[in-house]
Amino acid sequence: MATVARPVTARDEPRRPNIPAADLQLPAVRDYEQVDREIIGTLRPTVKWAIGLGVAIFFLIIGASAWMYQIYTGLGVTGLNPPIMWAVYIVTFVFWVGIGHAGTLISAILYLFRAGFRTTIYRAAEAMTVFAVMTAGLFPILHLGRPWKFFYLIPYPNWRYIWPQFKSPLVWDVFAILTYLTVSATFLYVGLIPDIAVLRDRENINPVRKRIYTMLSLGWRNTDREWRHFARAYLFLAAFSTPLVLSVHSVVSFDFAMALTPGWHTTIFPPYFVAGAIFSGIGMVFTIIIPLRKWFGLKHYVTINHLDAAAKLALFTSLCVGCAYMNEWFVAWFSGNEAEKAFFANRIWGQWWWASAILYTCNMVLPLSLFVQKLRRNTAWLFIVSFTINIGMWFERFVIIVPSLSHEFEPWQWTSYKATWVEYAILAGSFGWFSMWFLLFIKQLPVIAITEIKEIVPPRLRMRHPHGITPSGEHFDFEADTPGEHD
Amino acid sequence: MRGVLGAFRELDAAVGAIDALKKTRFGDIHVFTPTPRHELEHALDRGPSPVRKFTLVGGLAGVTFGYWIAIWCSDYWPLVVGGKPIASWVPYTVFGFEVMVLIGALATVAGLFIYAGIPRLTMMVGYDPRFSHGEYGVWVECPADKAPAAEDLLRQHGAVEVRRER
Repeated sequence: MATVARPVTARDEPRRPNIPAADLQLPAVRDYEQVDREIIGTLRPTVKWAIGLGVAIFFLIIGASAWMYQIYTGLGVTGLNPPIMWAVYIVTFVFWVGIGHAGTLISAILYLFRAGFRTTIYRAAEAMTVFAVMTAGLFPILHLGRPWKFFYLIPYPNWRYIWPQFKSPLVWDVFAILTYLTVSATFLYVGLIPDIAVLRDRENINPVRKRIYTMLSLGWRNTDREWRHFARAYLFLAAFSTPLVLSVHSVVSFDFAMALTPGWHTTIFPPYFVAGAIFSGIGMVFTIIIPLRKWFGLKHYVTINHLDAAAKLALFTSLCVGCAYMNEWFVAWFSGNEAEKAFFANRIWGQWWWASAILYTCNMVLPLSLFVQKLRRNTAWLFIVSFTINIGMWFERFVIIVPSLSHEFEPWQWTSYKATWVEYAILAGSFGWFSMWFLLFIKQLPVIAITEIKEIVPPRLRMRHPHGITPSGEHFDFEADTPGEHD
Repeated sequence: MRGVLGAFRELDAAVGAIDALKKTRFGDIHVFTPTPRHELEHALDRGPSPVRKFTLVGGLAGVTFGYWIAIWCSDYWPLVVGGKPIASWVPYTVFGFEVMVLIGALATVAGLFIYAGIPRLTMMVGYDPRFSHGEYGVWVECPADKAPAAEDLLRQHGAVEVRRER
């Protein structure tokens, strides 16, 4: 957590402007006062924000109404019919769990690797993770005929003589998702405590907000003792979260890989799912952070260099999932398994060709454009690509789930699936639910970590620093402005 | 608790004051800082945080509980599938791992709370909101007869404000 005012060495000066470095530079952020003023300034509600929140709540009401209708009428209102009993709901469940992966990847794994570009985007990504997993957790419950019985999955002493089957991947899923939600929320909150203390100390207008911040900051006082234990606890939380990121989507992939269904029963699923989850999560981070930095005037915090570095991560994970897709085709052909070969032919050239075409175009073809540096640094293009990644990753899960169930071993079982308006409404409602929480979050708590940004800003010093720090604590300019902005 | 507080605008001035206070051995020193800095850590030289012990104990307790709950439930209500063992350690590793992470993470936070002394309802003596904003506070515990000397020392090292606190 802690930093030292390091000398500006010859190696660092001058930097090549178009190469994002592992460490973080924010040349346009001069002092702590500016950090507090600009980041806390983003908490003021605006008309556009209120409209956005209204739209999110509108979609949420549509989804909630559709769910009420489904509970009242029964699951028959969906397009689910044997053998396709998993469709839009489970597709959307896996989609949101995947979205939830980038937050912990950015905040924990990149923290352990000391990748500086994470600092400005990790808070938004962490919040996105928590809300995405909250959204994902709704779908297995939405998918139940009697959703009020969901607690049957939780093992506790009871007289029903109903115990979870601990060898079932569905029970593994419950533990994995609950653990992930708890640890992600804890990680987010612990990181927020010092920032909430800043808000508590700076809030002088609204006594209710001040009281809430006082409670949430837990009496944080910025003492050296607190920081020492905080830094160690944060490190260990990051160390725990790292294998958790890899395990959760592996466990989700076991829901499929443990079955004998063609297209599912493959050992490549855990890494394939994890890479896909990270890919989709980074896509969603771009979809959120690119408008945010523009609307909140935070381009000098989330600089184009940071987006460039994150785009490389998206490109890398796109190549990973592309490799996994090609491996699936190869294994289907090389295995000599007729059912597998027939299934893959049906997936790519048969009734589901359109879904596969969307998937491969969005996840394999368009992200290749990120090899071009100019496009990586063009925020409009990045936003478009991130949007298509979101669409492509939803269709990836659709292509994994629905075509497999529609084309199993016995030809008499082969069938089709068409989602109904109820499923589409609940899908839209999930985006409303997620957006509502995120929009509420960004106006109550800082979307960029105040204290971590202050670690990067050179501290005020009394003496002229021998290696390039002025008496006011600023480094000598070595990068006048963030170069390469194309937006 | 009786002592003297010095507020500093500059990091190196605060570090200099800490070094001088340690040499004069007035008493315990506490520093308020808006962000963690290695310069202050080196000056204070506190040693490693014991939070890691909570992490270790929590992780071990979690992995034990994770395996135990799965094995105990399976033995209590056996579901025999395909002649496989009732308590099978391979799938139960998922529970062992997940609960290890869960309890280990929560124990780490508990360790942080215990050692950092949070949550607390009242602010510590000497706390000032500007310490979360950008200034550094050096608080030294000392009896009343030594307070003037401590105040002089803090001023000499560039404190913009010095006051006695109790």
